[in-house]
Amino acid sequence: MIQLVFSRLAASLLVIFGASVLVYCIMYLLPGDPVLLMLDPSSATPEMIANLRAQLGLDQPFYIQFANYFGDMLRGDFGQSMVNSDPVLPKIVEHFPATLALTALSSLIAVTIGITLGVLSAIHRNGVIDVVARLVGLFGISMPTFWTGILLILLFSVQLGWFPAMGSDGFSSLILPAATLGLVGAGFIVRMVRNSMLEVINEPFIVALRAKGLSERTIMYGHALRNALIPAVTVIGMLIGDLLAGTVVVETVFSRQGIGRIIADALMAKDLPVVQGVVFFTSIIYVVLNLLVDISYAYIDPRVRRAVRT
Amino acid sequence: MNRSISWIKAVALAAVLAMVLSGCGAASGGKTSGAAQASAGGGQAGKAEGGNLTFGLATSPDTLDPHRSGLAVAVRAIRTIYDNLVVQLPDGSIKPWLAKEWSVSKDGKSYTFKLREDVKFHDGTPFNAEAVKYNLDRVIDPATKAANSLALIRPYSSSEVIDEYTIKVNLDAPSQAFLGNLSQALLGIVSPTAAKKYGDQLGKNPVGTGSYTFVKWDENADIVVAKNKDYNWGPETVENKGAPYIDTITFKIVPEEATRIGSVQSKQVLAAESVPPQNIAALKSDPNQQLLQANTVGLPYTLFFNLRRAPWDNVKVRQAVQSAVDVESIVKTLYLGNYERAWSALSPGILGYDKALEGSITPDINHANQLLDEQGWVKGADGIRVKDGKKLSLRYVDGSPNREKRNDIAAIIQQQLKPLGIAVDIVITKDIASVIYQNWDYDLYGNSQVNSDPNALYAFYHTSAEGERPTLSGLSDPKIDQLLEQGAVETDSAKRVDIYSQIQKYLIEQAVILPIYVFPYTVAASKNVEGIQFDSLGYPLFNDVRIQP
Repeated sequence: MIQLVFSRLAASLLVIFGASVLVYCIMYLLPGDPVLLMLDPSSATPEMIANLRAQLGLDQPFYIQFANYFGDMLRGDFGQSMVNSDPVLPKIVEHFPATLALTALSSLIAVTIGITLGVLSAIHRNGVIDVVARLVGLFGISMPTFWTGILLILLFSVQLGWFPAMGSDGFSSLILPAATLGLVGAGFIVRMVRNSMLEVINEPFIVALRAKGLSERTIMYGHALRNALIPAVTVIGMLIGDLLAGTVVVETVFSRQGIGRIIADALMAKDLPVVQGVVFFTSIIYVVLNLLVDISYAYIDPRVRRAVRT
Repeated sequence: MNRSISWIKAVALAAVLAMVLSGCGAASGGKTSGAAQASAGGGQAGKAEGGNLTFGLATSPDTLDPHRSGLAVAVRAIRTIYDNLVVQLPDGSIKPWLAKEWSVSKDGKSYTFKLREDVKFHDGTPFNAEAVKYNLDRVIDPATKAANSLALIRPYSSSEVIDEYTIKVNLDAPSQAFLGNLSQALLGIVSPTAAKKYGDQLGKNPVGTGSYTFVKWDENADIVVAKNKDYNWGPETVENKGAPYIDTITFKIVPEEATRIGSVQSKQVLAAESVPPQNIAALKSDPNQQLLQANTVGLPYTLFFNLRRAPWDNVKVRQAVQSAVDVESIVKTLYLGNYERAWSALSPGILGYDKALEGSITPDINHANQLLDEQGWVKGADGIRVKDGKKLSLRYVDGSPNREKRNDIAAIIQQQLKPLGIAVDIVITKDIASVIYQNWDYDLYGNSQVNSDPNALYAFYHTSAEGERPTLSGLSDPKIDQLLEQGAVETDSAKRVDIYSQIQKYLIEQAVILPIYVFPYTVAASKNVEGIQFDSLGYPLFNDVRIQP
């Protein structure tokens, strides 16, 4: 187990490094000059432009710029926003809880709806609940996130007046955005769980358990479900990463504060330090999530543990 | 089965985490906006006082430092915090505000202002001639990095403090636009104490003399201003010259238009700006809502040909495009009859607007084809015209995102020019700074400007000086240069009207531009919100606002 954690951890560090190199290269190669975006093109003199460029270290060769940037990151210095000179790290730290809350609640909604519907639809195959589950799956996968969000606003804020349409003030404003993302996630999980549950139900060990005379309930929820969840856990882990990415759209639609909104704005303004800071930060989160998925995988499925040991 | 119990535990933990974090987020995010609904204090109908006006903004302001701002959206908030020396009424006349009276020297190059003596900045700094001098000098100081305010203050050169409440302002050249420009929010008067203290962070800590004082700004969430209880110097554009009736205004930043309108309809905010055309009809028929509309004044949304690049330096080729583009149907299709179509380089309502241009251009595809045929552009096998082995293509650049459906205008024009044999290459980019202003890599590019004086044309059509930024059209005609120079200084307003009408006629006849639409500033508000006014440029004013319970 410890060995598994360590090998995964080493791989994770590589992934974080790779992600930061990639982002740096992409931002470096994108057309457009950040210095010209910062200064008013009509009044800036060439001298002002050159000074600012030197001040930001943008006149250095690529590898030196990258080394400086990466070294600063490791020391926890994520630099300053080019747009309003706010330090990047405190900005991320300030806005991260809102995004984490959104991701947590939407994961919860996705997992609850996904697993419940997935299992029930497999057990009651071709019944009413199966049709509902398949519709939810189709809806979640095929609807664009912003569209779902706007539909929910029209129904639950404008028509019914139950929840606020926007903002990030308290729990009630969290429900619609989390439901929007949660529905997308649920779509994936329903299909995954339903399929793997159907596969498991037809395996010989279920027949053996029936022959042993166990109740159908024990067989389904005690044995089949546990086996069906193994592939589902992997999907759920990846999905939480997707949900984190989905906050970019959802936070904009619902005018929420959060790191998704920060990165959307920073990309538009070509605010390099902010984009890099957020990506560095989120790549760490992704990696930690993956690590957790791998560990829980081993926890649910003893075969994985044994495989690592030998 | 203890495994399933740990699943439940994990799920419960996630739920608790979500709740705790959203609570934290709200606590650090802002408390004042918590209720969102206005809690109007008692009083009889028409006399309601107190309450919080929530107002949805379409984009995030760049800064609340008026001298450094370049965005119209920032002006909605800036207007509440700062006052100006003078105010311009919708009929174009200039009236006192922080300046009680003024006189102009015979040569038109210096203005002497007598200032009000009872005005104080929000931080207690007294308002006087020194403060005004500091402000004017601050705008032209390169260290301020002034944006649009710099163009407004020109040809300012210096000012002299005559006595505590008298200031003499000197110009390099006479200017008929100068006094009107002093009424614009971007030349609002900031507290010298605060400006010195905060430097380039004044935009986050704004201090003025306005009817509202700054409370806080949470990035991407909201800007809060509160009533200035000592306020007693409102301009003629508002009825209430004293302190505002309501306690606070919370400007909420809501970029997604469906959400913005949804939050007015659900009463989460009491008013929101920039109503999309498709929602206007529904709002007008909603008994709980009202729709307020003010046409903005200045330069309408106009497409500029880049005259520096062939073949667009040829007037006949430009005229062909002018005849082929059906502006009427573009504006009707995209804005459903809610936007007015523009006919001239100026918008209606501004001094010198030439009404005679209305209806002057009608789409005529045969004429357009004929013009191109005459110029030797022949249709090739693919339907695109060719001359000397070069295809007739037009690089149409627009900024992202699709503000006021401007990307859609590009797409329609592309379709309309196809039958004419012109290949329109649409480039949507956020990087306008380098594509347009640095590399001049466009044939057609659209822009608009809010302004109170026809002298705004100068910056767009006067030949640019050596080393200065070229104009969007690249027009360089001595005749027009001369007219623009005369227009800037002419004191006889009938002569001024004539000068600007000549310029407008020329720009249409020479097809330098394609004017598209006049932008109406729209606000959707709950019926119980009364008294939102607009200034002469179409910006909202909140001094008279009352929220009925």
